[in-house]
Amino acid sequence: MTDQFDVSFVTREERSARLLIRGLTPATANGVRRAMIADVPTFSIDTVRFVENSSVMFDEMVGLRLGLVPLTTPLEDYEVGDTVTLALQKTGPGVAYSGDLETADDRVQPADDDIPIIELKEGQRLEFEADAVLDTGKEHAKHQGGVAVGYRHLQRVRVVGDRQEFDDPEPQIVRGVIETEDGDVVHTDEFDNDLRNRYPGKEVAVEDVPGAFVFHVESDGSLSVEELFVRAVDSLRDRADELAEAVAI
Amino acid sequence: MTYKCSRCKRDVQLDEYGGVRCPYCGHRVLLKERAPDVKEVDVV
Repeated sequence: MTDQFDVSFVTREERSARLLIRGLTPATANGVRRAMIADVPTFSIDTVRFVENSSVMFDEMVGLRLGLVPLTTPLEDYEVGDTVTLALQKTGPGVAYSGDLETADDRVQPADDDIPIIELKEGQRLEFEADAVLDTGKEHAKHQGGVAVGYRHLQRVRVVGDRQEFDDPEPQIVRGVIETEDGDVVHTDEFDNDLRNRYPGKEVAVEDVPGAFVFHVESDGSLSVEELFVRAVDSLRDRADELAEAVAI
Repeated sequence: MTYKCSRCKRDVQLDEYGGVRCPYCGHRVLLKERAPDVKEVDVV
Protein backbone atom coordinates (compact mmCIF):
# COMPACT_ATOMS: atom_id res chain seq x y z
CA MET A 1 0.00 0.00 0.00
CA THR A 2 1.30 3.42 -0.88
CA ASP A 3 1.04 6.57 1.18
CA GLN A 4 -0.74 8.33 -1.65
CA PHE A 5 -4.24 7.49 -2.75
CA ASP A 6 -5.79 8.54 -5.99
CA VAL A 7 -9.43 9.39 -5.40
CA SER A 8 -11.91 10.40 -8.10
CA PHE A 9 -15.68 10.52 -8.45
CA VAL A 10 -17.25 8.27 -11.07
CA THR A 11 -20.79 9.44 -10.40
CA ARG A 12 -21.87 12.09 -7.96
CA GLU A 13 -25.41 12.89 -6.89
CA GLU A 14 -26.89 14.68 -3.92
CA ARG A 15 -27.05 11.65 -1.65
CA SER A 16 -25.06 8.99 -3.40
CA ALA A 17 -21.78 8.72 -5.22
CA ARG A 18 -19.31 6.28 -6.71
CA LEU A 19 -15.70 6.89 -5.83
CA LEU A 20 -12.71 5.27 -7.47
CA ILE A 21 -9.76 4.88 -5.13
CA ARG A 22 -6.40 3.52 -6.23
CA GLY A 23 -3.65 2.36 -3.94
CA LEU A 24 -5.75 0.62 -1.28
CA THR A 25 -5.39 -2.83 0.19
CA PRO A 26 -8.60 -4.86 0.56
CA ALA A 27 -8.26 -4.58 4.35
CA THR A 28 -8.12 -0.78 4.23
CA ALA A 29 -11.02 -0.65 1.80
CA ASN A 30 -13.12 -2.74 4.15
CA GLY A 31 -11.98 -0.63 7.10
CA VAL A 32 -13.20 2.52 5.36
CA ARG A 33 -16.51 0.84 4.51
CA ARG A 34 -17.05 -0.24 8.08
CA ALA A 35 -16.04 3.16 9.44
CA MET A 36 -18.62 4.84 7.18
CA ILE A 37 -21.32 2.59 8.58
CA ALA A 38 -20.41 2.42 12.24
CA ASP A 39 -17.99 5.20 13.20
CA VAL A 40 -19.35 8.44 11.77
CA PRO A 41 -21.80 9.93 14.30
CA THR A 42 -25.16 11.37 13.31
CA PHE A 43 -28.04 12.89 15.24
CA SER A 44 -31.05 10.73 15.99
CA ILE A 45 -33.98 11.08 18.35
CA ASP A 46 -33.24 9.14 21.53
CA THR A 47 -35.70 10.27 24.19
CA VAL A 48 -39.28 11.42 23.67
CA ARG A 49 -41.47 13.14 26.27
CA PHE A 50 -45.09 12.66 25.28
CA VAL A 51 -47.43 15.37 26.48
CA GLU A 52 -50.37 14.01 24.55
CA ASN A 53 -50.86 11.05 22.28
CA SER A 54 -54.42 10.14 21.45
CA SER A 55 -53.41 8.50 18.19
CA VAL A 56 -53.98 4.81 17.56
CA MET A 57 -50.35 3.92 18.30
CA PHE A 58 -48.58 3.50 21.61
CA ASP A 59 -46.01 6.09 22.65
CA GLU A 60 -43.23 3.53 22.25
CA MET A 61 -44.20 2.76 18.65
CA VAL A 62 -44.31 6.43 17.70
CA GLY A 63 -40.96 6.82 19.47
CA LEU A 64 -39.37 4.07 17.38
CA ARG A 65 -40.55 5.72 14.19
CA LEU A 66 -39.13 9.05 15.33
CA GLY A 67 -35.75 7.44 15.99
CA LEU A 68 -35.51 6.45 12.34
CA VAL A 69 -35.98 9.98 10.97
CA PRO A 70 -32.57 11.11 9.63
CA LEU A 71 -31.49 14.48 11.02
CA THR A 72 -28.94 16.76 9.41
CA THR A 73 -25.77 16.80 11.46
CA PRO A 74 -23.30 19.71 11.68
CA LEU A 75 -20.39 17.66 13.00
CA GLU A 76 -18.05 20.64 13.30
CA ASP A 77 -20.12 22.14 16.14
CA TYR A 78 -21.19 19.08 18.10
CA GLU A 79 -19.50 16.21 19.88
CA VAL A 80 -20.72 12.69 20.53
CA GLY A 81 -23.24 12.81 23.39
CA ASP A 82 -24.54 16.33 22.64
CA THR A 83 -28.30 16.76 22.42
CA VAL A 84 -30.69 18.98 20.47
CA THR A 85 -34.37 19.31 21.31
CA LEU A 86 -37.15 18.89 18.76
CA ALA A 87 -40.89 19.19 19.26
CA LEU A 88 -44.10 18.42 17.41
CA GLN A 89 -47.70 19.46 17.90
CA LYS A 90 -50.32 18.22 15.50
CA THR A 91 -54.07 17.78 15.70
CA GLY A 92 -56.03 15.52 13.35
CA PRO A 93 -57.36 15.04 10.80
CA GLY A 94 -54.09 14.80 8.88
CA VAL A 95 -50.76 13.11 8.78
CA ALA A 96 -47.95 14.14 11.10
CA TYR A 97 -44.86 14.36 8.91
CA SER A 98 -41.20 14.69 9.84
CA GLY A 99 -41.41 18.21 8.38
CA ASP A 100 -43.78 19.18 11.20
CA LEU A 101 -40.96 18.75 13.73
CA GLU A 102 -39.73 22.03 15.14
CA THR A 103 -36.12 22.20 16.14
CA ALA A 104 -34.10 24.21 18.63
CA ASP A 105 -31.17 24.42 16.19
CA ASP A 106 -32.01 24.98 12.52
CA ARG A 107 -28.92 23.08 11.44
CA VAL A 108 -30.32 19.93 13.06
CA GLN A 109 -33.54 19.18 11.25
CA PRO A 110 -35.13 16.27 9.39
CA ALA A 111 -33.22 15.50 6.21
CA ASP A 112 -36.54 14.81 4.48
CA ASP A 113 -39.73 16.70 5.26
CA ASP A 114 -42.11 14.10 3.89
CA ILE A 115 -41.55 11.09 6.13
CA PRO A 116 -44.95 10.15 7.58
CA ILE A 117 -44.90 9.58 11.34
CA ILE A 118 -48.55 8.78 11.94
CA GLU A 119 -51.97 9.48 10.49
CA LEU A 120 -54.25 11.31 12.91
CA LYS A 121 -58.02 11.05 12.63
CA GLU A 122 -60.55 13.69 13.69
CA GLY A 123 -59.96 14.71 17.30
CA GLN A 124 -56.70 12.84 17.70
CA ARG A 125 -53.68 14.76 18.81
CA LEU A 126 -49.95 14.20 19.06
CA GLU A 127 -47.73 16.46 21.12
CA PHE A 128 -44.24 15.69 22.31
CA GLU A 129 -40.77 17.01 22.92
CA ALA A 130 -37.82 14.89 21.86
CA ASP A 131 -34.07 14.91 22.47
CA ALA A 132 -31.84 14.03 19.54
CA VAL A 133 -28.45 12.67 20.57
CA LEU A 134 -25.24 12.58 18.53
CA ASP A 135 -23.90 9.04 18.50
CA THR A 136 -22.39 6.41 16.21
CA GLY A 137 -23.84 3.47 14.27
CA LYS A 138 -21.85 1.21 16.59
CA GLU A 139 -24.21 2.24 19.38
CA HIS A 140 -27.47 1.96 17.46
CA ALA A 141 -28.28 1.46 13.76
CA LYS A 142 -30.44 4.60 13.79
CA HIS A 143 -27.22 6.62 14.02
CA GLN A 144 -25.80 5.20 10.78
CA GLY A 145 -25.01 7.95 8.29
CA GLY A 146 -24.10 5.60 5.44
CA VAL A 147 -27.00 3.37 4.50
CA ALA A 148 -25.81 1.47 1.45
CA VAL A 149 -22.05 1.43 1.48
CA GLY A 150 -20.06 -1.14 -0.43
CA TYR A 151 -17.19 -1.54 -2.86
CA ARG A 152 -16.10 -3.59 -5.82
CA HIS A 153 -12.80 -4.10 -7.56
CA LEU A 154 -12.29 -1.92 -10.58
CA GLN A 155 -12.40 -4.23 -13.62
CA ARG A 156 -10.17 -3.71 -16.63
CA VAL A 157 -11.60 -4.81 -19.96
CA ARG A 158 -9.21 -5.67 -22.80
CA VAL A 159 -10.11 -6.54 -26.36
CA VAL A 160 -8.25 -9.75 -27.16
CA GLY A 161 -9.60 -10.45 -30.62
CA ASP A 162 -12.62 -10.70 -32.85
CA ARG A 163 -15.58 -12.84 -32.04
CA GLN A 164 -16.13 -15.63 -34.53
CA GLU A 165 -19.32 -15.59 -36.56
CA PHE A 166 -20.77 -18.73 -34.99
CA ASP A 167 -19.51 -18.16 -31.43
CA ASP A 168 -21.91 -18.67 -28.57
CA PRO A 169 -23.89 -15.40 -28.20
CA GLU A 170 -23.97 -15.56 -24.41
CA PRO A 171 -24.23 -12.20 -22.62
CA GLN A 172 -21.11 -11.00 -20.84
CA ILE A 173 -22.48 -9.37 -17.74
CA VAL A 174 -20.32 -7.09 -15.62
CA ARG A 175 -21.45 -4.91 -12.76
CA GLY A 176 -19.97 -1.82 -11.21
CA VAL A 177 -17.34 0.18 -13.04
CA ILE A 178 -14.93 -0.87 -15.76
CA GLU A 179 -11.72 0.62 -17.03
CA THR A 180 -11.24 0.52 -20.77
CA GLU A 181 -7.93 0.15 -22.58
CA ASP A 182 -7.85 3.93 -23.11
CA GLY A 183 -7.98 4.42 -19.35
CA ASP A 184 -11.60 5.65 -19.38
CA VAL A 185 -13.68 4.74 -16.36
CA VAL A 186 -17.19 3.74 -17.40
CA HIS A 187 -20.16 2.72 -15.30
CA THR A 188 -21.68 -0.54 -16.55
CA ASP A 189 -25.20 0.96 -16.56
CA GLU A 190 -24.15 2.89 -19.66
CA PHE A 191 -24.10 -0.31 -21.74
CA ASP A 192 -26.77 -2.19 -19.84
CA ASN A 193 -24.19 -4.31 -17.96
CA ASP A 194 -23.49 -6.37 -21.08
CA LEU A 195 -20.04 -6.05 -22.63
CA ARG A 196 -21.40 -7.22 -25.99
CA ASN A 197 -23.18 -3.88 -26.28
CA ARG A 198 -19.99 -1.91 -25.79
CA TYR A 199 -17.69 -4.18 -27.79
CA PRO A 200 -19.89 -5.69 -30.51
CA GLY A 201 -18.20 -8.54 -32.34
CA LYS A 202 -15.14 -8.45 -30.09
CA GLU A 203 -13.65 -11.00 -27.76
CA VAL A 204 -12.85 -9.33 -24.44
CA ALA A 205 -11.01 -10.31 -21.28
CA VAL A 206 -12.02 -8.94 -17.87
CA GLU A 207 -9.66 -8.76 -14.91
CA ASP A 208 -9.56 -7.00 -11.56
CA VAL A 209 -7.24 -4.03 -11.25
CA PRO A 210 -5.11 -4.64 -8.17
CA GLY A 211 -5.52 -2.04 -5.42
CA ALA A 212 -8.30 -0.15 -7.21
CA PHE A 213 -11.70 -0.08 -5.55
CA VAL A 214 -14.94 1.54 -6.56
CA PHE A 215 -16.98 2.54 -3.53
CA HIS A 216 -20.68 3.04 -3.76
CA VAL A 217 -21.66 5.39 -0.96
CA GLU A 218 -25.20 6.36 -0.14
CA SER A 219 -26.05 8.72 2.69
CA ASP A 220 -29.37 8.93 4.53
CA GLY A 221 -29.19 12.71 4.20
CA SER A 222 -27.71 13.47 7.60
CA LEU A 223 -24.28 14.07 6.08
CA SER A 224 -23.03 14.68 2.56
CA VAL A 225 -21.25 11.78 0.87
CA GLU A 226 -17.97 13.70 0.93
CA GLU A 227 -18.20 14.44 4.65
CA LEU A 228 -19.20 10.87 5.43
CA PHE A 229 -16.17 9.55 3.59
CA VAL A 230 -13.68 12.04 5.00
CA ARG A 231 -14.96 11.54 8.57
CA ALA A 232 -14.70 7.77 8.16
CA VAL A 233 -11.08 8.03 7.04
CA ASP A 234 -10.36 10.45 9.91
CA SER A 235 -11.81 8.00 12.42
CA LEU A 236 -9.63 5.21 11.01
CA ARG A 237 -6.57 7.42 11.31
CA ASP A 238 -7.47 8.39 14.87
CA ARG A 239 -7.80 4.77 15.87
CA ALA A 240 -4.53 3.85 14.20
CA ASP A 241 -2.81 6.67 16.09
CA GLU A 242 -4.41 5.48 19.31
CA LEU A 243 -3.12 1.96 18.69
CA ALA A 244 0.37 3.21 17.85
CA GLU A 245 0.42 5.18 21.08
CA ALA A 246 -0.87 2.26 23.11
CA VAL A 247 1.79 -0.18 21.90
CA ALA A 248 4.67 2.33 22.01
CA ILE A 249 7.31 1.55 24.58
CA MET B 1 -59.39 7.52 39.43
CA THR B 2 -61.02 9.22 36.45
CA TYR B 3 -62.86 7.18 33.85
CA LYS B 4 -65.06 8.11 30.94
CA CYS B 5 -68.48 6.57 30.38
CA SER B 6 -68.50 4.92 26.95
CA ARG B 7 -72.18 5.82 26.38
CA CYS B 8 -72.66 9.40 27.69
CA LYS B 9 -68.92 10.32 27.40
CA ARG B 10 -68.99 12.06 30.79
CA ASP B 11 -66.13 11.91 33.29
CA VAL B 12 -66.85 9.49 36.10
CA GLN B 13 -65.19 9.35 39.50
CA LEU B 14 -65.30 5.86 40.98
CA ASP B 15 -65.20 5.21 44.69
CA GLU B 16 -64.90 1.89 46.46
CA TYR B 17 -68.62 1.68 47.39
CA GLY B 18 -70.40 2.69 44.18
CA GLY B 19 -69.38 -0.27 42.04
CA VAL B 20 -68.52 0.03 38.37
CA ARG B 21 -71.38 2.06 36.96
CA CYS B 22 -71.86 5.51 35.48
CA PRO B 23 -73.77 7.64 38.02
CA TYR B 24 -75.39 9.68 35.22
CA CYS B 25 -76.68 7.04 32.81
CA GLY B 26 -76.11 3.76 34.62
CA HIS B 27 -73.90 2.33 31.86
CA ARG B 28 -71.43 -0.28 33.05
CA VAL B 29 -68.75 0.19 30.43
CA LEU B 30 -66.21 2.77 31.56
CA LEU B 31 -63.03 3.72 29.72
CA LYS B 32 -59.83 4.58 31.54
CA GLU B 33 -58.36 7.87 30.39
CA ARG B 34 -54.73 8.51 29.69
CA ALA B 35 -52.93 9.99 32.71
CA PRO B 36 -52.37 13.74 32.25
CA ASP B 37 -48.65 13.66 33.14
CA VAL B 38 -45.80 13.73 30.63
CA LYS B 39 -44.51 10.27 29.76
CA GLU B 40 -40.85 9.86 28.87
CA VAL B 41 -39.97 7.09 26.42
CA ASP B 42 -36.48 5.88 25.50
CA VAL B 43 -36.14 5.13 21.82
CA VAL B 44 -34.13 1.92 21.57
